[in-house]
Amino acid sequence: MSDAKKIENPTIMSRKLLFLHKIPILKTKKFWDGLKEGKIYATRCRKCGQTYYPPQADCSKCLASDMEYFEVANEGEIVTFVASYLVPQGFENYQIPYIIAIVKTSNELKLMGFVEGIDYKNIKVGMKVKITTKIQSDGFPAIIFIPC
Amino acid sequence: MSRKVAIIGVGNSKFGVRDDALLQEIAFEAVKEALEDAGITQKEIELSVVGSVGTRMYEALPAVPVNEYAGFSGVGPIRVEAACATGSAAVFTAYNAIASGYVDVAIAIGVEKMCEVDTPTSTAVGGRGGNYLWEFHMFGTSFACYYAFYATAHMNKFGTTEEQLAMVAVKNHKYASMNPKAHFQREIKLEDALKSRIICWPLKLYDCCPISDGAAAAILASEDKVKEFRIEDPVWIAGIGYASDTSNIVRRPDYVGLSATVKAANMAYKKAGVEPKDVEVAEVHDCFTIAEIMAYEDLGFCKKGEGGKLIEEGQTYIGGRIPVNVDGGLKAKGHPLGATGVSMIYELTRQLRNEGGKRQVPLKKYIALAHNIGGTGHYGYVTILRR
Repeated sequence: MSDAKKIENPTIMSRKLLFLHKIPILKTKKFWDGLKEGKIYATRCRKCGQTYYPPQADCSKCLASDMEYFEVANEGEIVTFVASYLVPQGFENYQIPYIIAIVKTSNELKLMGFVEGIDYKNIKVGMKVKITTKIQSDGFPAIIFIPC
Repeated sequence: MSRKVAIIGVGNSKFGVRDDALLQEIAFEAVKEALEDAGITQKEIELSVVGSVGTRMYEALPAVPVNEYAGFSGVGPIRVEAACATGSAAVFTAYNAIASGYVDVAIAIGVEKMCEVDTPTSTAVGGRGGNYLWEFHMFGTSFACYYAFYATAHMNKFGTTEEQLAMVAVKNHKYASMNPKAHFQREIKLEDALKSRIICWPLKLYDCCPISDGAAAAILASEDKVKEFRIEDPVWIAGIGYASDTSNIVRRPDYVGLSATVKAANMAYKKAGVEPKDVEVAEVHDCFTIAEIMAYEDLGFCKKGEGGKLIEEGQTYIGGRIPVNVDGGLKAKGHPLGATGVSMIYELTRQLRNEGGKRQVPLKKYIALAHNIGGTGHYGYVTILRR
């Protein structure tokens, strides 16, 4: 929101600093590999049965570190969604508005993903979607929801 | 047995785009006002707590220059962070140091400079809060997105309307226009808010708080020191509640309220021995208009799902059942992260002392409540004051 009058005071520029992090994915590698093959994995604790999406290697509940992977259902329904016109740094090449939804799968997990193939004005909470994955043009993986 | 803790001095810098001052220079404004308000000098302060999120700043240790510039070298700083609830965490830390008997006088300083980087950078930094790898990394979720998830779900479940969201903005701009320290100094009309551009549907420009710079400070003291300083009838901290929620937003059961608010409020009400109906003036976390509507419900000012109706009936204006954010709120006073929670204490302390001027809420019980959320309910603080 712009105020009518904007007086700019004298400033100097800081030194440049660029952060790019190497993020360890060893403990959830199956998930990241799965995204390339159209598969989305969650984990389940072999000791207490607690399920985790996003997947994790250690059980926050019983403290065991013995997980099994299982595939998330490929259908679900939209719980909530947004259409974002903001372009955060790092997303300059994404088309706006991009639609992000939270979808509940038939195996009772919730996932975040982009909705494609529909105008946001036509989306309704409760709408059924197919769940898939893709590698974006910038090389980052994504989870994609396509209305049934 | 914990000791009673009073608020004996408060200060607040002007909020806004403060390209006229450094971090420590705006903190100085708030500290100086708080010391003068308390009628004491730096010599009396035994502990300095500095709340600053700091993730948008060039200074890696913001508390250090802030503390030195305010003249508190050697008495802290303890630096705290709780995202947008950082200021409340600073007050809580200072409170505990006194309640436990460790010190007698402490200052909580909240300060943030957010306008020195461009908006795409600020949006990215804000969006990374929570659980970067599983959310922002893939989907570029900004903070507006997170609250928009809640807005969509709340509107779908309870029939909350875009007009009701806009009414929150109209109210908070009205009070900001009466508050010289607020970022925005003008009133808006309902049509302006409804016609404003979409930021993250269903949230429009006027549903969102601005990106602001600012500082606030609160000086807390034990009962013994209140007597020693001959402070008559101060404001007391009656109870503080804290809570949190999942870092991954997909792990929450629903998106129509913040469980961190409910839990923190229940704890604060219990500690203070009061009920929602006893609260006469409240500062709630309205980073987005939907957040204020959910706060009405989650704090118990109305039933779940009736927050939209509460603003529509005008019940949260001065003269209504529970006046909320009569300083303009985050929405129009501004939301310099670290400063916000302390600024809430500044406003409520002045209200409880009947120093609210044109914005004074009529009080009988002298009970006030501050509600401060970090992230999307990732942290929650509720602080109850009484006099």
